Amino acid sequence: MSSNPRDQKTSAEETLRLVASLPAPEGLEHRIHNALDRAPRRGSVLSWPRSLRPESSWMRSAAAAAIVFVVAGGGWGVYLRVAQNQPGKVIVMPARIPGSGGFGSAGAVRIPETLPGPKAPQAVKPQPKAAKKAAHSPAGAGQPAAKDAVAH
Amino acid sequence: MSTSQAIVAGWMESPTSAVNDEARRRAEDHALAAMVDQYAGALYRVAYSVLRNQADAEDAVQEAFVRVLRHRDSLGEVRDHRVWLIRIVWNIVLDRKRRAKTRPETDDVAELARVLPATGLSAEERAAAAQHHAHVLGCVEQLPVKEREVLLLSAFEELSSVEIATVLGITESSVRSRLFRARNLMAELLDHERTSRERSLQ
Repeated sequence: MSSNPRDQKTSAEETLRLVASLPAPEGLEHRIHNALDRAPRRGSVLSWPRSLRPESSWMRSAAAAAIVFVVAGGGWGVYLRVAQNQPGKVIVMPARIPGSGGFGSAGAVRIPETLPGPKAPQAVKPQPKAAKKAAHSPAGAGQPAAKDAVAH
Repeated sequence: MSTSQAIVAGWMESPTSAVNDEARRRAEDHALAAMVDQYAGALYRVAYSVLRNQADAEDAVQEAFVRVLRHRDSLGEVRDHRVWLIRIVWNIVLDRKRRAKTRPETDDVAELARVLPATGLSAEERAAAAQHHAHVLGCVEQLPVKEREVLLLSAFEELSSVEIATVLGITESSVRSRLFRARNLMAELLDHERTSRERSLQ
C-alpha cells in the first residue's frame, strides 16, 4: 500500500468501483420474475367486484356527480340558513350604563358664585357758606401756624 | 426513452374505458418484466455495495420490485425509472443495514475473496487483495453517514452527480462538497491505519 495520500484515495476509490462493478449473480432476473409472480397483485386484501371497480368510467362519473351534489347542497343549505336568520338592517346601539366607571357626586350640589353688584360712586356734599366765612375771618389766630405746618 | 419507459408510456396513454382488463394487466406485466430485465443488475450492485452480502442484496432487489408491483399505478408519473428504482432499493438497503447487527470484518474478507474476479492472481495474491479491499471498506464504514452514502454512490459510473443528488434528495452542490470531505477523510483514515500497523509490526 502506498503512503501517498493521493494514491490512498485512488486505492480506496478503486476498491469501491470494484465492488460497484461486481456482476449480478446468474439467474437474478429469473428469480425476481418468480417472486413477482408469487407476490399479491394488489396491496388491498379485498378486491372490488368487476362492475364496481374504481377505474370503471361510470363509477367515476357517479362519484364526481355525488361530490358536486354534496358540495352544492351544502352551500345552498348554508345560504338558506344565513338568509333566514339575518335580521333587518338596523344597527342597535349598546345601552349606556349610567355611572359606570368614574367617581360619584356623593350628593353634592354645585352652587354658582354670585357676582358682586354694581356700586354707584357717592356724590360730594356741598359745604355750607357759613362755614367758609368762619374760616376767612381774622379771629382765626391759628392761620399762620396752619401755613407753617403746610410749609413743613 | 428506455424500453420500459416506452411501454409504460404507451400503456398509460391508452384510454381507460377502451382497454380490456386482461389486456391492461398484460401490458402492466410486460412493462414490469422489461424493468426487471433492464435494471435488476444495477439495483443488485447498489444493494451489494451497502450490504456486502449476495443473498441480502438479492432479497433487497426483489423487495424493491415487489414494491413497484404494488404501486404500479403511479409508474406513469415517474420521469426516470432507473433513478427512481435506485432510490427505492437504496432506502430498502439502508433500512436493512440499520436493523442488522454489525458484521465483523472477517466476514467481508471471506465474501470479497469469494466474489472478486480471480483473473491472473494466485491464491495468496487473491487473499491479500481481498484483505486490502475489506480494510478499505472497513475505513468507509467509519465515515460519517452523509459522506459515506455519497462516496458509495459515486463509485457507480452510471450515476451522475445530479442523479446521486436525486437519489439522496439533496442538491448537486451538496453532493460535491460531501464527496470532497469523504475523500479527504478516507485519506486520513487510511494513513492513520497504515501508521498504526507499521508501529505494531515494529
